[in-house]
Amino acid sequence: MKGEWILDKNHLSYWLRQLRKDRQLIGPLRDEGRDIVFRTVENIHEIVLDCPASLPSPKEFLFPQYEPMLRLNSNPSSPPLRKGVRAVEDLTDKNRRVIFGVRSCDISTLGLLDKFYLGKYRDPYYEQRRKNTLFISVVCNNPEPTCFCIGLATGPYLEKGFDIQLTDLGDRYFLQTGSAEGARTVRSMAFLFRRPTKLDYEDQYEVFLSSKAGFQKRIGLEGVRQMILSGRVKDDFWQWVAGRCFECGGCVYECPLCTCFTVTDRVYPDGIERVRLWDTCLFKGFTRMAGGVIPNEKMVLRTKRWYYHKLIHYPETLGDFGCVGCGRCTITCPGKIDMATIATKIKGLALNGDGE
Amino acid sequence: MKKVLTVCPYCGCGCGLYIHVEDGKITGVSPSRSHPVNRGSLCVKGWNAHEFVSHPDRLKYPMIRQDGRLKKATWAEAINLVAARLEDIKGKYGPDSIGILSSAKCTNEENYLMMKFARAVLGTNNIDHCARLCHSSTVGGLASAFGSGAMTNSISEIADARVIFVIGSNTTEQHPMIAMHMLEAVDRGATLIVADPRRTKIAELSRIHLRHRSGTDVALLMGIMNVILNEGLVDIGFVRRRTENCDSFEEALRRYSPEIVEGITGVKANDIRRAARIYAMEKRSMLFYAMGITQHITGVDNVKACANLIMLTGHIGLPMSGINPLRGQNNVQGACDMGALPNVYTGYQAVTDPKARRKFERAWRRRLPEKSGLTLMEMMDMAYEGSLRAMYITGENPLISDPDLNHEREAMERLEFLVVQDIFINETSEYADVLLPAASYAEKDGTFTNTERRVQLLRKAIQPIGESRPDWEIISELSSAMGYKMSYRGTYEIMEEIALLTPSYAGILQHRLNEGFGLQWPCPDIDHPGTPYLHRKKFARGLGTFITVDFVPPDEPPDEAYPFLLTTGRMYFRYHTGTMCGRTSVLEREEPECFVEINPADAEKLGIKDRSMVRVGSRRGFIDLRAYVTQRTPEGIVFIPFHFKNAAANVITNPATDPDAKIPEYKVCAVKVEPLSRPQKTERPPLIDLETLRIT
Repeated sequence: MKGEWILDKNHLSYWLRQLRKDRQLIGPLRDEGRDIVFRTVENIHEIVLDCPASLPSPKEFLFPQYEPMLRLNSNPSSPPLRKGVRAVEDLTDKNRRVIFGVRSCDISTLGLLDKFYLGKYRDPYYEQRRKNTLFISVVCNNPEPTCFCIGLATGPYLEKGFDIQLTDLGDRYFLQTGSAEGARTVRSMAFLFRRPTKLDYEDQYEVFLSSKAGFQKRIGLEGVRQMILSGRVKDDFWQWVAGRCFECGGCVYECPLCTCFTVTDRVYPDGIERVRLWDTCLFKGFTRMAGGVIPNEKMVLRTKRWYYHKLIHYPETLGDFGCVGCGRCTITCPGKIDMATIATKIKGLALNGDGE
Repeated sequence: MKKVLTVCPYCGCGCGLYIHVEDGKITGVSPSRSHPVNRGSLCVKGWNAHEFVSHPDRLKYPMIRQDGRLKKATWAEAINLVAARLEDIKGKYGPDSIGILSSAKCTNEENYLMMKFARAVLGTNNIDHCARLCHSSTVGGLASAFGSGAMTNSISEIADARVIFVIGSNTTEQHPMIAMHMLEAVDRGATLIVADPRRTKIAELSRIHLRHRSGTDVALLMGIMNVILNEGLVDIGFVRRRTENCDSFEEALRRYSPEIVEGITGVKANDIRRAARIYAMEKRSMLFYAMGITQHITGVDNVKACANLIMLTGHIGLPMSGINPLRGQNNVQGACDMGALPNVYTGYQAVTDPKARRKFERAWRRRLPEKSGLTLMEMMDMAYEGSLRAMYITGENPLISDPDLNHEREAMERLEFLVVQDIFINETSEYADVLLPAASYAEKDGTFTNTERRVQLLRKAIQPIGESRPDWEIISELSSAMGYKMSYRGTYEIMEEIALLTPSYAGILQHRLNEGFGLQWPCPDIDHPGTPYLHRKKFARGLGTFITVDFVPPDEPPDEAYPFLLTTGRMYFRYHTGTMCGRTSVLEREEPECFVEINPADAEKLGIKDRSMVRVGSRRGFIDLRAYVTQRTPEGIVFIPFHFKNAAANVITNPATDPDAKIPEYKVCAVKVEPLSRPQKTERPPLIDLETLRIT
């Protein structure tokens, strides 16, 4: 499964073209508005690799914003499944995709997403997409000012968890495979790759070092967790946070690890389509009970819950923080109460306020 | 998967967003990171701007009323019927018996064609749109003071301002992306002053919150200016060089000492002094206002008072310093610019000006009517009286958004012929004789102009749903069927015609908008980079004019029978009449039912418990809804959002209008509040309106 190879940059487009033959090739491209977005690649030469974080995260390919799940057909001419049961059409996504140019932080979410979606309750929609998606990630040589994966060991390069990881060595890529699918993909076109030499390893190490030096933010979340658990983060702090929350849901929508969704039925004259949509725990309607009671009606409880979920409950239930330091909430939050800011503020409380 | 950069269809911020398309279907949206307005953020409505597009309720084919029922028809049948009936009514009763409501949700190109259709094809100036109900006071008020009525600055300047004075705008909820820039300014040390009777979120973020009584804005602003005058904070150089009529204005100002103003507004004299000093002494002071200023019988006076304030302090004509009306609809600025108003052509060229009229007559090769047409509210009154026989309503839902709905319904009922062109069946289409299905924002090209005058490209992401068609195609075809040929290959050709006839849009052509994020008018020629802020060195009309205004109490102040002052407004998760957000599951879920906010002191006096049902009634009608007991609303005032059809606030609002702008006084009317003894069953509006599915 694990393998290390060298890919000459001149061979990249040929390789991608081959991969595209039986998969949709998705990659980071520059759009009309100068933004970088992940979309289907028409012209491989237009791929922009050294790019700022894409909005939204590549979770949209595993768990799309709007996903049809199934259709109930009330058309009498369609054959019933069983007696008295109307035809149900499964709308699980069948597309095979290769997503090129993903960042390490996003790859490191996959383990946790799998635990959530493929744990006790298996989510067939996610499972199908996960199975059909191959990720080719790229080690970040130039982290953005918003990035802080380095403090969480979720980047800029990964030891495991990836399908295929590329490190840019200038004229060639250092390629590592980390999954069976990744290894198979490389092996099926072995003639494109060669084994790395000592020089390649040296260059790779140099890139790692320079990349690490590029980080402006160094935020670890363990200290923040301890602060919260020790009860030193008081409610007036969360009140301040809530006062700045715009309730846009952007942090949840952008977060590569957030998994909230809602399910709704669309009624057509000839049937019903069940769809699921991104939702967020920050909205009060998210927890409305049948009787109309909303346990977390106060804004402060909802913003606080989001941080508690990421910093306390995630480590308890899934074994790691619910944050990979991708910095997308820093980019998108209109109230500037993103994870990096809040973590820094909470650490500041330790220094300024009470003791330590 | 494809991602198409386009413009958000909700509010006037004009955020850039990508529509995600997979196999010809929309799968989501995401914000543009480099867009100067939203910079990678979106509000909750923007984030959910994808769901309604493919909602099953979409109107998919034209419908014609036969034997009282709306029945499916072909495009040819519908167009021919509309053409024949409009010709017929025009022939019988004259062109002015027809009224057109254009739409602030449609593109500039569509609004232009709509007004061309009204004027050149039908021969009437009876064209108006919802700007009448939101910022007609601004268009009029600022035009008379400066010669041009639009936001003077750019949104991207806000973060560098030193003072932000917000009056009558719930910015965090209604223009969230503008509030984001304000919050950034506050973080950088700017002072935020908010004048609003309610303690809104933006008010909670402010340094000074002036809670004046609704409808006393003129008095409050005069009080502030009185302090500025008496404490020698007037920018004398600016007043001398750039303005006129200041002397007579100063005379009027002397009557409004802070103490007198405190009596009228309920705001402490010292708070008025503090606010006045901070606003006047800092440079880089920006003033923002919205419906709290405009929707009064004194709407134009309120706007003029704001204009006087910024001229007195010289806070205009520079970056980060000016007067900024926040426009509500995504293209309400554009619809006004395009002349979808009864008195002007594109770029505010008056229909009564023979020179302008001749220009348009020559371009359109038709004689054009000389008299100004009817405003929206006048059309409704004329329809009620019977002199307006037919209406053509595009992308608007007056039967929720207009005041005094019972009267409006009757007016619609009395029309001989009503065409409704929309993307959904709505309350207004229940009265329609012909329904024409329009394409949504995701299914057409064109341009929108946002509140900071930025003309941006709307790009088509998917094919129109069902048989729906872009409004500009429908109007072109209808016009051709009525004997006036309109043949445009695309919206870019229409834009070219607009540029030709409109000095402020002369350099705005679609191919220029393709790169970057649009151009801000005025843009007088093809090489012009656009204008980020207005009135530099010189006002549009030359010298700015101080117009003396005086405090006039609201039309219907509270009295013994109706002791509360009702003010209406919007809320964050909803948008206007709910045509779009009501079909978006997350948005619809958040606030599923209407409520009235009432102060705890008042609630206790009346024996109203939090979340209990109450009846709110005025002289025009009543609605039953839930009471939210909250400090957000001060004593003596109740607040109701106007979005809901099962408790439509506009059943009780007052249709009294501003004498000049004809804008109704949505913000003040007298009501009484009674607890309902028995809990009434509240109908939760179903997500899918079953009624609409039955019409086939």
